[in-house]
Amino acid sequence: MIALRDTPLDSAALLGAVADPEHGGTALFVGTTRREAGAREVVELRYEAYEELALGELRAIAAEAERAYAARVAVEHRVGAVGVGEPSVAVAASAGHRPAAFAACRYVIDELKARAPIWKQAVRADGTATWVDGCAAGDHRHDHPETTGSHAHGG
Amino acid sequence: MPDDIAVTVRLFASLRDAAGAGRIALRLPAATPVGAVWSHLPEGVRVLGLPDGLRYAVNHEWSVPGAPLRDGDEVALVLPVSGG
Repeated sequence: MIALRDTPLDSAALLGAVADPEHGGTALFVGTTRREAGAREVVELRYEAYEELALGELRAIAAEAERAYAARVAVEHRVGAVGVGEPSVAVAASAGHRPAAFAACRYVIDELKARAPIWKQAVRADGTATWVDGCAAGDHRHDHPETTGSHAHGG
Repeated sequence: MPDDIAVTVRLFASLRDAAGAGRIALRLPAATPVGAVWSHLPEGVRVLGLPDGLRYAVNHEWSVPGAPLRDGDEVALVLPVSGG
């Protein structure tokens, strides 16, 4: 299950998609839109994807994780407007044991954020809408905390 | 010009906003390299300056600036990404 959708994400469906009687561990990551309370409070994020290539990249990333960790992976990302507190991305990964499940899940969300041609625009309470500066290919570090910087990241 | 080719350029996010459209049709000299598409875009886009970290895709697959374009190709200008 790999998709871009303009309707709410269904974590239970993702978990169901990776269910496997041989897999004893399943990890679920859900990225949600942050409010960033204050004068520049975010009211929604608007996601735009280069859909053909984004789907191809998500399929490639999922296949890499499945191969590297003997996992099953499902991933979905929203497009269009996503309100504060709503999930914008969800990744489920199951594997024989929990280390591989966590690692596969982490791999998919990190690679998605670095590689998938998807962009977000932060719409703020003062009515302004600004595109969030992205990461160039090769910029990303797997160890950087999500909370650094002032960007309105979901995920 | 018999040697011209028809190319569609796909734009996203701030580039799409600047162009006022997500698709632009161009006629270019045959074998124009992918990386030269920028200089053929409308003034309203070029005024932004060539974005740092811009990448290219041709017909929905990653490409490189030096790849020659063919008639009917679709080129996407892919800004640094910010999904998640």
